[in-house]
Amino acid sequence: MSHEQNKLYTTLEKEALICARCGSCRSNCPVYRVIGWESATPRGKISMAKDIFSKKNPAPVTDDFIRRISQCTLCGACSNECSTDIDIRKLWLDLRHRIAEMGKAPKGYDAIRTNLLANKNITTFDNNDRLEWTEDLDEPEALEPRAGADVCYFVGCVSAFFPQASQVALAIAEILTEAEIDFTTMGGEEWCCGFPLIGSGFVEDSKQFIKHNVEKIKELDIHTLIASCASCYNVWKYDSEEYLDGYELKVFHTTEYLAEMIKEGKLELNEMDEVVTYHDPCDLGRNSGIYDAPREIINSIPGVKFVELSHNRESSLCCGGGGNLQSVDADTASKISALRAEEIKATGATIVVSACQQCEQMLSSAIQKGKLPVRVMDLSQLILEAMQ
Amino acid sequence: MSNEMLLEIAEKFGDRATLSEFERSLYSRDLAPVPALLVNPLFKTLPDIVVRPSNTEEVAEIMKFAYRNNIPVTPRAGASTVYFNSVPTKGGILMDLNLLTGVVELDEKSMTVTVNTATTWSELDEYLNSRGLAPKSFPSSAPVATIGGWFCMMGYGIGSMKYGSLLSQVRSIEVVLPDGAVKKVTRETTPALDWFAASEGTLGVITKLEVEVRKLNNMKHYLLHLSDANKMLDTMKALIGAEVIPYNVHFTDQECLKAMHALGFTLADLTEGCVVGVDYEGSDEELQQARNIIENLSGADKIANPVSEETAEMEWEEKFKALRLKRGGPSVLGAEVWLPIKNLPEYLEDVQKMSTGYNLGLFSYGHVVTPEYASVMTTFYADETKTIKYIINLSLVKKIHDIGYRYGGCPYGVGLWNSPMVGRIHKSLELSELRQRKKSMDSKGIMNPGKVYRSPFMLNPFNYGLGMNVLAGVRKVLGKGW
Repeated sequence: MSHEQNKLYTTLEKEALICARCGSCRSNCPVYRVIGWESATPRGKISMAKDIFSKKNPAPVTDDFIRRISQCTLCGACSNECSTDIDIRKLWLDLRHRIAEMGKAPKGYDAIRTNLLANKNITTFDNNDRLEWTEDLDEPEALEPRAGADVCYFVGCVSAFFPQASQVALAIAEILTEAEIDFTTMGGEEWCCGFPLIGSGFVEDSKQFIKHNVEKIKELDIHTLIASCASCYNVWKYDSEEYLDGYELKVFHTTEYLAEMIKEGKLELNEMDEVVTYHDPCDLGRNSGIYDAPREIINSIPGVKFVELSHNRESSLCCGGGGNLQSVDADTASKISALRAEEIKATGATIVVSACQQCEQMLSSAIQKGKLPVRVMDLSQLILEAMQ
Repeated sequence: MSNEMLLEIAEKFGDRATLSEFERSLYSRDLAPVPALLVNPLFKTLPDIVVRPSNTEEVAEIMKFAYRNNIPVTPRAGASTVYFNSVPTKGGILMDLNLLTGVVELDEKSMTVTVNTATTWSELDEYLNSRGLAPKSFPSSAPVATIGGWFCMMGYGIGSMKYGSLLSQVRSIEVVLPDGAVKKVTRETTPALDWFAASEGTLGVITKLEVEVRKLNNMKHYLLHLSDANKMLDTMKALIGAEVIPYNVHFTDQECLKAMHALGFTLADLTEGCVVGVDYEGSDEELQQARNIIENLSGADKIANPVSEETAEMEWEEKFKALRLKRGGPSVLGAEVWLPIKNLPEYLEDVQKMSTGYNLGLFSYGHVVTPEYASVMTTFYADETKTIKYIINLSLVKKIHDIGYRYGGCPYGVGLWNSPMVGRIHKSLELSELRQRKKSMDSKGIMNPGKVYRSPFMLNPFNYGLGMNVLAGVRKVLGKGW
């Protein structure tokens, strides 16, 4: 679930005791910054978890506790700061798993699960309609699943079903076509990556999704997979290994893949007179360790002036859209994205790019609410614009 | 507090006040996991209400209300201490100051910055660094410790060796007094600035501070390996007495090196001897002079062996991670001792005798914060899930302080748990003066009661000494295998 090699995790019972309650995790926690009560700090939540799971006379699992545990974007900023090197993000996932196993998962999580088990994607649309977005391409049928292609583009639920996010999928398809890459998709056989289930604590359910996707990739005899969704990428990179079982599959986020294409001279980028800033998606940056490729892409576009957000790379501030927070507390999620929008405003950028469709949705909404003169784009869209 | 009073505040502050027991319970603890069995019979640590004021006026409003109604008020921000400094002892109002953050004004001419009290040191550092400036010093808990909080403690840490205590760097503060009056306090006013330094929130609520800053300079970091504590002391003295004043000098004893090594947090694979770390900041010329100092101290025929500069750099980068030791726990108990460095070898020798006597590992590390004094942390592993054994182990904290006291040391910080030893921290006359100040400023005794000046009855020095010594005796006889 994480690339963090220097972060440690034994068991929930032990790690909750190891937590020193020092509070280093406090200042950068986006949820605490919005809610403000000590019970919303990572140290406060772990302290309660200790009373429940690490003591001989355990405290009861209350609704208040479950609410606070679900009020988390799983952004991993707490892990980054932890003075005792606890992989706190893993601890949150463990806690959510325990809560789900007790049958006490929040209603919002149950709804996510029920829907996913029924539809295999995060929407209520038929999963066979996953390639509807391709109808805007010249040759939509070219993206139907095809065995033996060099590359499979794992589109992700958000890009497949939400019209605004579909522009990302379209941009990627156009770029790959322009660069004459032999690529395909999994079509209706692509299921949700499983990330929303992992984040809700339904780990066992997530496994059937991961297993299905891996089996389909094997059937297609594909050995390179690219994902434009940071969360899908994270699951493919860190959770699919068990099911790949030795099958050789190179997994790239689209930013890595496209940055390499630019280096190899496969894409010709024209001048753009724009000030661009970059929002690091938590699942791509902190939780997967990819910081440089997106910046290399931006800096490779002639004329673009790149400015960093005040919180960037490892210290990046979450957009508010992670960890299924919207399903249980949309208001807090929205307030977090407003914090990020303020940082974007402070840069003076005309474009904010990201590499996660969920982040882009959250930021678009916050920027619209704040009436900021800033365009929100995916890196693939920026590249496509530079190519034109 | 009566229901009417609680409702009055709750109504006034709306969603920035809470009566929820769930929320309040989180404010009845700090870093120290002290068993409820010990705490609950003696103190009312659960506040009646928690309020989050967002500006000085609101702080004053709360204080006026509390003063009028004789309600205890406990101010709290980062709450990164271990002595219940910001945990209530008599319920009342818990004032969570964490909305009072951010820089108010930067004056580059006078090289000062005015900040709201709950701004963390890391936040201030980030703000200043982006403008080519830096705080003169900061605590080793900078990511959570606040400017106001550290001033309310003793304010010695990283950078104090070169720039002095935080008190010496603060030009003025804005403080809300117990009766709700707002006052700007400087060195010239009465009360003066030094009244509030280390007062632990017992004289008023500090809301703003004007702090000196420095130019952001390049730094160089060195680690020196010494064969024993006496050579460590000689090295420290040489570093402190050299023409370039170090920014920071810190040390790790052999047992601490071993413990860190066992956990995989190794300093160049060292498990023997001691390590002194020294950090310099300044002009290129100063940094070159510093390099010469280090080269003169180290080398084949000298007492100190340098560890690679990459390791020293990494050690600096990880300066806020001392609590990693806790991974060997699950719990850690210990004492922070303000100790004359000339007595450090003897102190460490006695600590090791204690280690043998009680059959437990005692690990020491610390920062040299003035030319004469170090803040030394001596810790040991414990298990808070085994309540009785854990309570008995608490007695060893006093035993460590006893060693420190033998060598001219005293507890660093008072709060509640060190209050039985307040007579060791202050001379009798000083203590009388402090108590007089408290009386004159807080005649009703509502500001953070139970801390700093005298111990609560059950923890009076006699009871405390007797109780701890008995428990330590039990520990010695029965606890060898714990």
